[in-house]
Amino acid sequence: MRTELLEKLCQINGTSGDESRVRDFIISQIADYCEHKVDPLGSIIAYKKGASSAKNKVMISAHMDEVGMIVTSIKSDGTLTVSEVGGVDPRVVIGRQVSVGESDINGVIGAKAIHNLSAEERKKAPKFSSLYVDIGAADREEAEKLVSLGDRVYFASEFLTFGDGYIKGKAIDDRFGCAVMIELIQSELPYDCVFTFVVQEEVGLRGARPAAYTVDPDFALVIEATTAADIPLASGEKRCCELGKGAVVSHMDRSTIYDKELYNISREIANEQGIGWQTKTMVAGGNDSGAIHISRGGVRTTAISAPCRYLHSPSCVVKLSDLDDCEKLAKLMIEKMCTL
Amino acid sequence: MNLEQTIIQLADTSGVSGDETKAAELALEMLKEFTDDCYIRNGNVIGHLGKKGTKPHIMIDAHIDQIGFIVTYITDDGFLKISNCGGIDRRLLLAQQVTVLGKEPVTGIVCAIPPHLSTDESKVPEMDEICIDIGMTKEQAEKVISYGDKIVFATGCKKLQGDRITGAALDDRCGVAAILRALEIIKDNKLDYELTVMFSTQEELGERGAKIGVFDIDPDIALAVDVSFALTSDDSEIKCGKMGKGCMIGFAPTLDKELSQQFKAIAEKNSMPYQIEVMNGETGTNADRFSVNKSGVKAVTLSIPLKYMHTPVEVISVSDVENTAQLIAAYLQEVTV
Repeated sequence: MRTELLEKLCQINGTSGDESRVRDFIISQIADYCEHKVDPLGSIIAYKKGASSAKNKVMISAHMDEVGMIVTSIKSDGTLTVSEVGGVDPRVVIGRQVSVGESDINGVIGAKAIHNLSAEERKKAPKFSSLYVDIGAADREEAEKLVSLGDRVYFASEFLTFGDGYIKGKAIDDRFGCAVMIELIQSELPYDCVFTFVVQEEVGLRGARPAAYTVDPDFALVIEATTAADIPLASGEKRCCELGKGAVVSHMDRSTIYDKELYNISREIANEQGIGWQTKTMVAGGNDSGAIHISRGGVRTTAISAPCRYLHSPSCVVKLSDLDDCEKLAKLMIEKMCTL
Repeated sequence: MNLEQTIIQLADTSGVSGDETKAAELALEMLKEFTDDCYIRNGNVIGHLGKKGTKPHIMIDAHIDQIGFIVTYITDDGFLKISNCGGIDRRLLLAQQVTVLGKEPVTGIVCAIPPHLSTDESKVPEMDEICIDIGMTKEQAEKVISYGDKIVFATGCKKLQGDRITGAALDDRCGVAAILRALEIIKDNKLDYELTVMFSTQEELGERGAKIGVFDIDPDIALAVDVSFALTSDDSEIKCGKMGKGCMIGFAPTLDKELSQQFKAIAEKNSMPYQIEVMNGETGTNADRFSVNKSGVKAVTLSIPLKYMHTPVEVISVSDVENTAQLIAAYLQEVTV
């Protein structure tokens, strides 16, 4: 995995329904390597020619959107009220720098000083309904010149490598999947296949549904980031999956019971090739597979995910070795699905 | 000086309570512009100006420390357990990026609770539930991090609209900057009284640096330059000043009333923007220590309005720092022997 590519993707701001900047960048990366079109919702459907035609039509999918916030009103004191876009825990938003709108205006989500909180207030984290963004505007009039209702609010979070081969950044869910797909499209593939960079995963797997309808595949592979809880707060099965143990191949999550044969094949290939793999120890989370596997008359679907700590926060953490394992396994699984 | 740049430079240099060296050394360098007679003693930055031994001996202070954390333990799987240095709002800690000030700076992320383990998003973690992910094994961690190392929020300063800036340690580096700016304003004036500048340690843990510093300096009059609450959307107008409306002059039972009145009068006379901050007992600033030093010292608190105090996204208006500096400078020019 080229971390420079992942960094570029993660640093672009694009929440659900607002993926245009991510889409433009991806198109700039793939246009020379495949035919592509943009569907009515904004998803990219990319037809990649391989060395030969495939027996089965295989769709590989990742989502372009990230979680964030949306401006719902501008208050008289110039601050902005917000709602979450996608699943965001308000506790990972308070006390942060953010960017507002397409011109990426600096802002902060502050909080009443701890000195002025009542004992009761100190014990309870605020809800989204009581959070607000401060861009430094003196009043509503000044704020209205810069911000419109419906503008998006993004995490302002540096992308960096740290520790023993770890990466921290916003939007790794699922710019990681986008990065893998860009690299695959830019490489020589043995068989024709279709790549979809879809919109609106975080608000209900919405972009994948029409994309799968359009592509009408026999098989699908979703490349994602999935929640890992290998932290001191969790033990045993509650850790779900762990960083450094390789690609996560799921048998079931909240959205999908995955194709059993593909699950078995993934594990066999990983074992044969010495690729690190693991499965989730809880039925938790979900991804675009949920929309794709029940598209039209049904699609045989599997997912390969990078274990990711603090998912849906400004500080997603992944391990580079896991990203490499995911990419290797994805490449081999695509080949397998093309000929199965 | 470029005041904004001075504030940002000071605020982006670490100085957690008890480990203020980096910020103190930077402040000392900046102070050298105005006096050669300056040094660090017991952690406090001290600089002498004016005419030694001539009363009234005036001391002007801002604290150099910032809130942060201290490493108390490294778990078997390489995560750090921590305690707080100063008043930390635990509601905002999850998934924050921090820097551990080990042998070298180490990036860390405060562990957040994933949704499948989080039954209540309104729960505020206890300090002993907080741990820091540094992406290392215990063995790797022990090579660069020791128990007692300090930790700061890794949130650098950024400009907001107008003249507002955000940063993690504006409390009280903007006070330090206000004093340096005041010294710049009066640098061509000959002071015929003794003036001592102090940038003191450990204010956030109970004004400890101020207590020992003022004992040695032994002034007649002491000014504490700190920050106070600027009104935010979720706070009360009664408790807060307003951003951009000038220095907040403290009036409190523990402050010298005449001194407070004098600052008010100076502001009025010079048409400087100012606000009155009324407190009903101790002020929670270094003035509380100054006033009871030795046989007693006349003390006042001058505060720069600041939003979101003790969060990594404190906000100030640079004009308030300039206005506070102008007020201090006007006072220092008015003092008579």
